[in-house]
Formats: sequence, structure tokens, C-alpha cells
Amino acid sequence: MSLQEQINLPKGINSREKNTGEVKLHRQHYSSRLHLYTIPPIDEITIEEFESFSLDRLTVLKEFEATILRNKSDKESKEYMNQVLAQYLPLHTNLSSEAYPIQQERRKDHISHFILRLAYCRTEELRQWFLKYECALFKFRFINLSASEQLEFLKENNLNWKCASIFLDDKEKSEMKEQLTTSSPHVNFASETFFEVDFEKVLDLVKRRVVYIKGGKAYVPMRDQVALVMDEFRNRLDKTLKDTCRALPEVDQEGQVMPILNQLNHFKSGQGYSCSNKIEGQITADDIDQLTEHFPLCMRHLHKKLREDKHLKHYGRMQYNLFLKGVGLSLEEALRFWRMSFSETNDDQFQKKAYAYNIRHNYGMEGKRTNYSPLNCMRIITNNQPGEGDHHGCPFRHFSEANLSHTLHNAGVTDKVQIRQIIDYVKGHHYNIACTRFFELTHGGSKEQGMMAAINHPNEFFEKSYQSSQESSLGNK
Amino acid sequence: MESMEIDSQQPTSTEDNNQAFVDQLSANEKLRIFYQRFFPYKPYYHWLNYETSPTKAFLNREFSFTLPNDVYVRYQSFKDAEELKNELLKEVPAKIDIGAVYTMRPKDKKFSPPNSFKPIMKELVIDIDLTDYDDVRQCCSKADICLKCWQFITVAIVIIDKTLRGKLYDFGFKHLLWVYSGRRGVHCWICDDRARKLDNDGRKAIISYLAMIKGGSQQEKKVFLSRPFHPSLERAYRIVDHYFTVLALENQDVMDTPERWTKLLKCIPEEAIRDVLNEKWETTPSRDSTLKWDDLMQALQNAVYLPGKNISKEVASKRAEALETIKREIQFQYIYPRLDENVSAHINHLLKSPFCIHPSTGRVCVPIPPDDFENFDPTKVPTVSTIIYEMSQWNERHPVQSGERKMSDYEKTSLKPYVKYFEDFVQEVLKDARIRRRAAQQRTMEF
Repeated sequence: MSLQEQINLPKGINSREKNTGEVKLHRQHYSSRLHLYTIPPIDEITIEEFESFSLDRLTVLKEFEATILRNKSDKESKEYMNQVLAQYLPLHTNLSSEAYPIQQERRKDHISHFILRLAYCRTEELRQWFLKYECALFKFRFINLSASEQLEFLKENNLNWKCASIFLDDKEKSEMKEQLTTSSPHVNFASETFFEVDFEKVLDLVKRRVVYIKGGKAYVPMRDQVALVMDEFRNRLDKTLKDTCRALPEVDQEGQVMPILNQLNHFKSGQGYSCSNKIEGQITADDIDQLTEHFPLCMRHLHKKLREDKHLKHYGRMQYNLFLKGVGLSLEEALRFWRMSFSETNDDQFQKKAYAYNIRHNYGMEGKRTNYSPLNCMRIITNNQPGEGDHHGCPFRHFSEANLSHTLHNAGVTDKVQIRQIIDYVKGHHYNIACTRFFELTHGGSKEQGMMAAINHPNEFFEKSYQSSQESSLGNK
Repeated sequence: MESMEIDSQQPTSTEDNNQAFVDQLSANEKLRIFYQRFFPYKPYYHWLNYETSPTKAFLNREFSFTLPNDVYVRYQSFKDAEELKNELLKEVPAKIDIGAVYTMRPKDKKFSPPNSFKPIMKELVIDIDLTDYDDVRQCCSKADICLKCWQFITVAIVIIDKTLRGKLYDFGFKHLLWVYSGRRGVHCWICDDRARKLDNDGRKAIISYLAMIKGGSQQEKKVFLSRPFHPSLERAYRIVDHYFTVLALENQDVMDTPERWTKLLKCIPEEAIRDVLNEKWETTPSRDSTLKWDDLMQALQNAVYLPGKNISKEVASKRAEALETIKREIQFQYIYPRLDENVSAHINHLLKSPFCIHPSTGRVCVPIPPDDFENFDPTKVPTVSTIIYEMSQWNERHPVQSGERKMSDYEKTSLKPYVKYFEDFVQEVLKDARIRRRAAQQRTMEF
């Protein structure tokens, strides 16, 4: 199922034309495909467009985030991102004109960038996120331009002029021949033009040791100027984001825009999940939030704490990760899920603390390579008693009575008599029956107890709950 | 106590008296004497201030203290050298760390509006520690060092210094201060204006440009080179090759036991070559590493031509190149510098200050003059006890005479050359700052 269907957005740009038909004032003309977004749009725009443009761009940025987190091969991600871009934010060249609405494509690209700028300028965290993935998007597009388009772009933005003054002449070039050819082996030395910049301007090349540096100057082949362009793009956007933040209070004097902006930064791709074939290995990290309503209390609790603390201790991670594996989360998606969930942990710590290792370990990819199964109720109840700061275990076994009542109440068991009944099972050490009763009470149908066999595994709880929701949604149709 | 008893039996000399005086001092008392009499406040202040008149570079600089009771106090800052001295004498910290220059005084951090307290400048720093070489050194481990394994540090300094310093080489920095960390490592403080202004991305880029050894203990082969070799790696290789025989083969005997040679052989991706060598060495395990290295070179050469296959000259030379690359990778893996990348990558990372006293060795964290890397001997670095003793000795022999210039206490001790070098270093830094200031003034006058 496509993302587009999941978010319920209209398809393609043409279908949207109808909505925008009445607003045709101040149409800007876009002569080139790509720009540094220095001038804001002076267009009028409908609220619908405002919303759909920004959601489409956000979907693209989220997809960039996902591909980077997933660590896919370059070729694989390139193919995938090309598809995503074609669907949500296409930008065709001047040559391909006629068939494609290139002016509308460019308008959408332009406007959506500026809307998200508004939505993502408000905190340092949001700014950093937006900057990172806008840069990824820009770089992806710039590299895909033809050589002549790149040149055109540099001219138009005065970037070409910037480096033109410090081109190496033939003598300098030949004096450095050996160093230049070994530093930039991917270029054709004879026909290539090199220019000189401070190494700080091309950090990406320095980092990968693919440029010749001498005395603090980097000697960059034209072919690698994308590094320079990226530096320019990043710096400009970084600065304007901060400016936008300061100006934000004046932007929305009518109070129409803010509510949408607020929604935007809570948006996650993959909302409205409702597809049964996903369960078999098709679940993505983005689906977990929607699925929690089918989770037993132990897993809901772990999920809640993970969201609150942006962290879970070792046994909590193990219990929850193995459960999610049973639900159908692939290793790749599990890594992504945990990486995103530990949002306050930086990459270094995430590696150092062996979080990623443990996740792979659970999937049998590390150490003695046992492919671990999800823990059953018996093990959750009896092994590894939770200690200070731990959130794993079984709520029926490890929660205080007051705490459990409260949790049950929040989970939808509001009848005091029913809560009492569950607490009585707990007191008699019948934790599984208590959990099963909780299932019955929260899944319509059997208000009478004892209609179903006791649940002995958290994944069993999930599957039953999930199935029953599928059946009832079919029944309703 | 023991030395006191000896004193009572023998005629007492001034040497014995002074030694006895030093011996009865507690660590804390020695530290206090050091902060009172030896710490080079003036050049130290000028260094971190980058001018002679007060600037934000010093005022807004973070200092952190490790107090004698192991309490760690962050975000200290001082008005000038005098205030720093008073605080050092009051707290007698076991360790001083230097952090970044912030947007405001670190001691006012708690009064600052959220998000306004930010690091803006710091020297680029590099941290090298012999514990990171534990898998390749066998003379010592953990905290211990000797001259044999110190050579790893020498190689690291030579390679990194070359890459960073001077117009002829890569980064063109001028003011590199190498400092002995007091036990088993060195720090480098790169003090150029340009280095101090680097953001985290700039720091990460430089450090990743330098770093070659990748992967933890779970990964046997840690270096991967690709042809053609980048000029900086070609240069580094010449240094690596120069030291490799003595350092890795003779001193560390890196292939002496089956376990250790197996480890080295794991850097060779071709099983056939590994098997040949393994077989040979199992029958003659006592061949030392130098001979085994010759065997290895021979095996690589023999492997150019695959048995039973007739290959063209072109293919043969390609194979020879690939095998040569393997040789270089092994040499790099064993002696190329190993850096603590985290210390360098973040502008606000703290690093132990020069002229601290190492709490367990008592050695002074002295700067290492760049013309003398090769001869620097960490075991000869003065300890706090030595210099107190030397000062007492000198004072006994030279009773104060009126009218004579009062000598600084450090000048009476073996600390002198190190302080002298530090002063010269700081003078150069100040000179550059003056030139920069004048140029800036001129520019504004022109406008």
C-alpha cells in the first residue's frame, strides 16, 4: 500500500488543480528547477493547498530520514527516493516541458519549502532536523542535475563567480599534478578545472579524505563542487531558519496558520494504518504507535515509558524488542524504531552502549547467533525481576494494587466491580487469567468471563486483538 | 618514618634533610606548593587570553576542577591569573580541565536565559593514549608505559604534527602545543585562530581525515586502503615504514606466539597466503618477528602468480599492487596513530590542562618541544616531589643576598626548560594575535 493512500492525500498534482483554480493572482515564473530558496513565495494559496503541499514535502523529508537511518545501499536508496520524489515532489527539467506541469511543480516545491520553514523554525531540535533533511533533499536533486544545469544553477546564484576567481592556472595545475590525481582519482585530470578554497568550505570532502589539501587550502575539482554548494545551502538555510523563528509571531496575525503548523511537526508518515497483510513482515517502525491499542498491558507500559523517557533499560528493551519482532517488525525496522525512539541519545552513545548490538543480538545476528523467540508470560512473570528504573515485567504481577487499578481504568475498564474482579485474580496469583479477563472486557463481545482460553503469551494477546479488530471492521462493511 | 631513623644514625647532610622534608609532605601539600610556587600563571594566562589585556577568551573560558575528594566541579571561570591562582590555592584541585570559551561567563551559566549559553571557541585538541594500543603492545599494558611502547606515541606525534603544521603540509596550522598527559599519553592543543573557530563539523572532518584505524576488538582487520594513496597517506606511510621494523618487529615482537601471529595474519584476506605462513611458522615457531616478516613479504611476492594459472603482465602488476596494499594495511594497523575521536569532535569537550600534576605518577604535564619529539623521555619528566626537592637544595646553596634579582622558583628546578619552551610558544601566539589585530584595525581605517 502506498504512503499516499495511508495519509489519504489526493493523488498527483493534476487532481489538485481543481482546488486551486480560483486563486491565480501573482503567479511567479520559475525559470530553473532548483533554487536556494532565497526569495519567499508571493503567491496566494488556499488552505487546502497549504496543507497538502506541506504534507507532501514532509513525507519526502521523512523518507530521507528513513533511508538514512536504514543505511541502505546508495543504489537502492537512490532508486527508492526517485520514486518518492516523482510521487510527491516531482521537478522536471525545462526540456521535458509540455507533458509535465513544470511551473506548478516548481511552485509547489517553492511554497512547501517555505511552509515547512515556518513549522520547523521554532525550536533548535526542529531546526536541526529540518536542516539535515532539506540538505539531503537538495543534495540528491543537485547531483541528479545535468552538467549544464549545474553550471546554470551556479551562475544564477552567483556561486560560480565565487570560485572562478581562484581557479588554478595550467602551470599551478601541472605543478600539483601528482597530488591532485591521487587525491581526486575519480576525475579526468586533463580536462578538469580545479579551484582553491579554504578547507572549511568543503568539510565533506576533507572528512572522506578525497581532496588535496595544502596549507589549509583545498584544491577542488569542478566535479566535486557539490560540496561547496551544499555548504552555501546549509549556511543560508541555517541562518534564515533562525530569522524566521524571530519573525514568526508576525506571520500569523489571523490565527489561521498556526494550528496547521502545530499539526505538521507532529505528523508522522504511516498514519491511519489498517492493513492486515502488513502483519507478516510488512510492519514499519512508524506503525508501532498505531498498533499499541492491540498490545497487552505489559507492552503498552513499555511503549509508554519509551516515549516518555526516550530510553528503556536493558531488560525492558529485550522484552519489548522481542515482542515487536513477534509482531512482525524486521531487524532493519527494529533498528530504525529504537534509533528514533532513543531520540535524546546521540549516535555515538547509541553505538557505544551497544544498543544496536543488543537489538541485532535479539534477532540472532550477533554473539552466539541464537534466534530468540519473544518471551512468554511465564518468563516475563518469573525471570529478571524488575529493579530500580526498570519497566519490564508483567503489570498484573509487578504493579501495586493501586497502580494496577489505575492502569486498568485508563485502559478502558471503568467498572469498579470488574476491576475488583481482576485484582482478586491477581491476589490469587492467577496473573494470566487476570490478563485474559482484561482482554475480554476490552474487546467487546464476551462480557461473560471464561469464554476464551487463558492467554499465555503477549504475542497471542496481540494477534487475538488484531484479528478481532479486522473481523469487526469487515463486519461493519 | 624509615628515613627519619636513618637520619638520626648518620651525620645529616642537606640532601638527606631536604629529601626528608619532601617525603613527609602529603600529596595535597605538594600540590599546594606547586600551585603556590611553580605553576606558570603569567604565560598560562596569556596563552588562554590570546592577548595581554583581558579578553573574553579568558573571562568566558570554562575551567573544571577535580577536587581532592573526587568531587567534580564544572563551569568555573576567572577574571584573571590572580583570581585563578587564589582559587587553585583555596581548592587545591587534583586536576584542572580546560573547556570552551562561551557566550558568557561560565560561572554565570545558571543565571543565563535558556539556550543563550553556548560554546563559541576552543582550541582544536587531540588526545592519544597508550591504552588504545593494548592489542599491539606487549611490553606493558593498561596504565604502565616504558620507552619501548612510548615509541607508538612518538610515531603518532610525528605523523599528526606533519599533517597539521605548516604551509607545506595539509592544514597549515602554526601553533601546536604538544603536552605530556602525565602518564601514558599526549595531548595536542592547536591554538591558531582558525582552529579555535572550527565548529563541531570542522573538528569531526579533520579528525576523520586523520583517523585510519576503524572498528573495535570484534573486527580483526582495522585498516582498509585504496589506490591511489592520498598524498597525506603516502607521507604517513613513509613515517610508518621508517619505524615499523624497530617498533613493531623488534621491540614488540608482534608475531612471537601463534596467537599473536594468527592475529596479524587475519589482516590478509587471502586464505592461501595465511595457510602457507601458518604452516611454516608452526614448524619453526621460534623465528623472531623480523624473520617472520621477511617470510610474509616473500609469501606476498610469491602470491602474485597464482599456481597453475598463466596471467598477463598487466594482471600480475595489478596483483602486485594489491598485495603491496595489504602490506601497508598491516603496517598501518600496527603503528599508525590511534585517536580518541570524541575528545576532538566536540567544541565543548574538556581536556586536562597543561601543567597539571598527574595524581598517580606525580609527574608534571609538561609541553613537549617539537624539535625534540624523538628524544622525549616520559620517565625523565620531573615529578612534583623532584622539583620541590631541587628548589630546597638550590635555596640551601644560594642564601638570598640583598640587591640580587629574585629568581622564580621554577628556574631552580628541572621544570625550567619546559616553562621556558611554553613561554616562547605563548610569545609566538601573542605575536600572531597582534598582527591579526593590526590588520583588522587597518581594514576598518581604510573604510
